[in-house]
Amino acid sequence: MAKPGVRALTGWLFVAPCALVFVVFTLWPMLFNGWLAFQDYFIAERATAWNDFANFVTLYKSATFRLSVANSLLMLLTVPIIQAGALGLALLVHRKLPGITFFRATFYLPVVITLSIAAIVWRYVFHYDGMLNWALTAIGVFEPRQGPQWLEQSGPALVAVMLFAFWKNVGYYMVLYLVGLAAIPRELTEAAVLDGAGPRARFIHISLPMLAPVIVLCTLLSTIAALKTFQEVMVLTGGSGDTVTALYFVYNMAFSGFNFGAAGAAALLFTLVCLAVALVQLRVMGRHSPFRRAA
Amino acid sequence: MNRQIASWGGRYGAMSLFALFTLFPFLWALSVGLSSDPSAIWHFPASFVPNAPGTGWFRRVFAEMPFFTYVGNSLLLSAITVAGVLALTIPCGYALAQLDFPGRRALFAVMLLTLTLPSEVAIVPNFVTISRLGLVDTYLGAVLPNLASAFGVFLMKQSFEQVPEEVIDAARVDGASEWRLLWRVAVPLNLPAIGTLAIFTLVTAWNDYLWPAVVFYTRSKLPISVGVFNDLTGPFAVSTSLVMAAVVMAVVPVIVLFVATQRLFLQPQALPLRG
Repeated sequence: MAKPGVRALTGWLFVAPCALVFVVFTLWPMLFNGWLAFQDYFIAERATAWNDFANFVTLYKSATFRLSVANSLLMLLTVPIIQAGALGLALLVHRKLPGITFFRATFYLPVVITLSIAAIVWRYVFHYDGMLNWALTAIGVFEPRQGPQWLEQSGPALVAVMLFAFWKNVGYYMVLYLVGLAAIPRELTEAAVLDGAGPRARFIHISLPMLAPVIVLCTLLSTIAALKTFQEVMVLTGGSGDTVTALYFVYNMAFSGFNFGAAGAAALLFTLVCLAVALVQLRVMGRHSPFRRAA
Repeated sequence: MNRQIASWGGRYGAMSLFALFTLFPFLWALSVGLSSDPSAIWHFPASFVPNAPGTGWFRRVFAEMPFFTYVGNSLLLSAITVAGVLALTIPCGYALAQLDFPGRRALFAVMLLTLTLPSEVAIVPNFVTISRLGLVDTYLGAVLPNLASAFGVFLMKQSFEQVPEEVIDAARVDGASEWRLLWRVAVPLNLPAIGTLAIFTLVTAWNDYLWPAVVFYTRSKLPISVGVFNDLTGPFAVSTSLVMAAVVMAVVPVIVLFVATQRLFLQPQALPLRG
């Protein structure tokens, strides 16, 4: 592309402010974590000392770190559930029925609601005397007063976090599937109807293959989101009931333990894992992104 | 015909059930907040109907919590963030889309890559940077890390690529400077995309919890997301009725904004990617 009379300097001036803020607050932190990972960082003195791999040894010996990694991996269990739910919802609200906008908006609402505020209500839902245990007692799962302490008990607490994450995020992926469904050419479906294909056959032989790129994209986004689970835990359980996740560990290490070195080491490891997932994503999606707009 | 009706009924039944699942926390909060008599708030399903309806709890929230201070802070933070993101990402996206300069591809590739990396790991280094700059507990410090939105740059670049080359070239031949061309020709042609970015940024900034919670320590500077959360899990937690009334007040602005702009979220031209 020839640009008559436009100098390279103009381009640099246009991107400079954004690039500067980007480098300082997005790129630098990643590099800084990589550097911190090998340092003893003394906050008060603002002094640092190279300590080889001592921070990684600290992590390796830390039971909390192992627990947090295990929890982050366990959160991956939500990926298929959220994706199946989101796809099901998308199929449910795909057709333009009267009032459909209301249902779509309602299903999406939790996504835009402030996380911390939503968590407050859910704390009361998960209260040992709260709505969830009442409902479970009513359908006979537990004897009255025998339900679990959802936010304090190891096991149930992580399930509570998962349920909260499902409620908060399923609508987001539903919209992505709706975009994917809308992109399926109408002629395909009509031809299948003429051929006498029922709804199930149409779903398996048309919708599913056509949606494959969207399903891959959503699964990868959802995988990264599950690994990143942190704020949900912070506002819902505050880490009680053994719900510490990898990012929560990083945060706690820095702001409660004031061990910035170990926090940096954990952050570095975590970034590398996400980078690996992202590279898979780029490789799988490549230039075939389902959401690339036709130029 | 009967099968048609049955299938419709099933569809609406399923949709209503799930709507109940997404809405019940707020319906319950509303009912509890409106119940002057809190004795039945743990009795289900009776608690979904206000018991002795009244607005007493809401008035107590106004009286006992600096609610409008939090709202004002949220508005201020969101406004600065939206203005800053637009001011930074519009020229950047335009240059990446329409100008040629060394390093263009590299910059865009790095920005795209960071979109998939967890922004939360930046919290610790950014706190160090912000405190070195002396910006802890300031509004500038609270918004600065969010301004260079990679998603915004991506959206703006995509949008400015749609401007027909002839339009740009014609303006260039007429001797318009690139800066003038951007604001007088390219921006007016891309107002829908810019509006979309503004709304997404507004919602993200309004809901942001973690960074403001880290950077502020003065209560009167807190946005809703942090201030209301701290109050409701701290001093207010003694009264469930008070908590639920405050929750309802805190979600109303978001719901109003969402209802007004739901089209952008439900029929996205661009994905509201979350960093």
